[in-house]
Amino acid sequence: MVQASPPDAENPAPSRRKGGSPRSGRPTDDSAGNDSEEGRTKALGERSIELARYYRGKIETVPKVPVRSLDDFSLWYTPGIAAVSRAIHADPASAFDLTGRWNTIAIVTDGSRILGLGDLGPEAALPVMEGKALLFKYLGGVDAIPIPIRVSSPEEIVETVLRIAPAFGGINLEDISSPKCFYVLEELQARLPIPIWHDDQLGTAAATVAGLLNALTLTGRSIGTLRTVLLGAGAANLATARLLLALGHDPHRLSLVDQKGVLHAERDDVDELMVRNRWKYRLALSTDGGGRKGSLADAVREADVLLAASTPGPHVVKPEWIRSMARDPIVFALANPTPEIWPSVAREAGAAVVATGRSDFPNQVNNSLIFPGVFRGVLDARAKSIPEEIVLAAAKALAGHARERGLTADHLLPTMEETHVFPYVAAAVASRCVELGIAGVRKSNSEFLAEAKERMARPAEVAELLMRSKFTRPMPEAAGKEPRKR
Amino acid sequence: MNPKGSEPRGHETQHPETAGAPVHLRPAEGADVPTLVSLLIRLKRLNEEFDPLLKVRPDAEAKAKEVLASDLKNPSALVVAVEGTGVDAGKVVGVVRAHIRERLFYTPEQEGVILDIYLLPLFRRKGVGEYVLAETTRLLKERGAGIVTAEFPVQNAIAVRFYAKRGFRPITALHARSV
Repeated sequence: MVQASPPDAENPAPSRRKGGSPRSGRPTDDSAGNDSEEGRTKALGERSIELARYYRGKIETVPKVPVRSLDDFSLWYTPGIAAVSRAIHADPASAFDLTGRWNTIAIVTDGSRILGLGDLGPEAALPVMEGKALLFKYLGGVDAIPIPIRVSSPEEIVETVLRIAPAFGGINLEDISSPKCFYVLEELQARLPIPIWHDDQLGTAAATVAGLLNALTLTGRSIGTLRTVLLGAGAANLATARLLLALGHDPHRLSLVDQKGVLHAERDDVDELMVRNRWKYRLALSTDGGGRKGSLADAVREADVLLAASTPGPHVVKPEWIRSMARDPIVFALANPTPEIWPSVAREAGAAVVATGRSDFPNQVNNSLIFPGVFRGVLDARAKSIPEEIVLAAAKALAGHARERGLTADHLLPTMEETHVFPYVAAAVASRCVELGIAGVRKSNSEFLAEAKERMARPAEVAELLMRSKFTRPMPEAAGKEPRKR
Repeated sequence: MNPKGSEPRGHETQHPETAGAPVHLRPAEGADVPTLVSLLIRLKRLNEEFDPLLKVRPDAEAKAKEVLASDLKNPSALVVAVEGTGVDAGKVVGVVRAHIRERLFYTPEQEGVILDIYLLPLFRRKGVGEYVLAETTRLLKERGAGIVTAEFPVQNAIAVRFYAKRGFRPITALHARSV
């Protein structure tokens, strides 16, 4: 299967052994950017291993009910609990009221696309899924259970999730390679009456669209007349393309470009795509190259927007391509760990707005801005599904909050520091679920907001309490090559 | 030289299901050969996706040219160029290649075998394929076929569904192994 890699897939950045000293701060040019980033990533990796060995896991189950004496177990467990079991047998939906199902999701992966590292298998996926579970809890107040599974086909992923679904109020698919992730998501969405989400597609796409909507406002554009080029046709960009079309983007002004050039209906590999990646095939037909053929250089000429989610840069997107774009071009270079072009270089070439996937540049497009609010929202509304409208509602809510703080070329999106925004995203999502008639719980926006605020704040308070009381063991000093003196 | 009964006609008005992307069928000519070769090669490359025993040989293009040249002279062969209309007028967007064969032991005695049928992707949905198949069936029937068959890779689920919907069912199977 030949196709452009999603960000940080398959083509990890060439390893450089220059060993730049770990430092933070904004890389301003090519070499500085690379050296500091390489060095910093290495140092963080070493520290992560140290801490993984020390803490041996990042989440644990903790009782949430009082246990005054062992007698209480006759309420929490047998014989008392039999009545609860019978009640759920009589009305399965009551599991959402009588157990933790309402707030519990599974993080399911087959380990086939772990970060930028490729197919490392389910065991190696566990630390990443534990980390994701930590984010889900800390940012979204959601109890998330890491479930890496050993499977040999996409059908087996679907089968496995169908079988474990009774325990969960939602499913987050994670780090599953493209194109099977499309099949798995579509199939589970059709077959399960709970929200199913694939963060690498929907989370990234929603964050991208949120940033783009504000970039359009900043540069005085509207989506209906936009010419957009998407570089990379992996999970994220295919989902982004679908969202843009749902927002009213003209398909014939939208060009998807991968390693083989502009994706159009008569490209040589289109029949192969029909068989192996029907999602990409459909976009090949509906966009038909956005009226262009050839290479990225051909597609990007006079384009308003370039959304790159392809392979790590910094020389994947050339400055002259940006110079050939329309006035005040918008450039998103989202590959990790290194954007397709350094923001400073893109700016010099005329880009009016630049976003990347990194927190050390302005305008980080980060799916962590989206998924906590989405899951808080769909769980609180007890939604049956997460249709495209919900993804767009989350994107619009996020964009709206950045506008409230004041939009500049360096502030397109809230940063990860601005966690107070998340409950608003959650409430927007929950309210939209009610409007669409897919909510099992009907409340007003302000009720959803109050609930989300409380549920999203609690984990940080609990964590703080546990740290202060030292029930969470204090962070050990870094070992490193130059041990610090105590 | 050209198969009879396949004069160019404006079918689209009689077939509302092709309204989205109308096409019309006409007998192929010598001048069509380069385009038809490229369409046939696309089809063979698609077949390649379904089974390693359908790997396209390096000289497939030359072979396609030869077989088209010979079919165009063969009275029991049918080669149809599918042409676009409207903005795509005059553009060949698909090909059909079929033979009339005698069935030695069975009746009906004349079989119209659809060997190749290919439409460019943008001309696939909207009932175009259905229309092309119906027209091809009509042309084969005019030439005496009492049964129409179609050959395609058994793993091609899209083709299986397409033909099944139009009343086709498997009657013989071709099983293969490499030796």
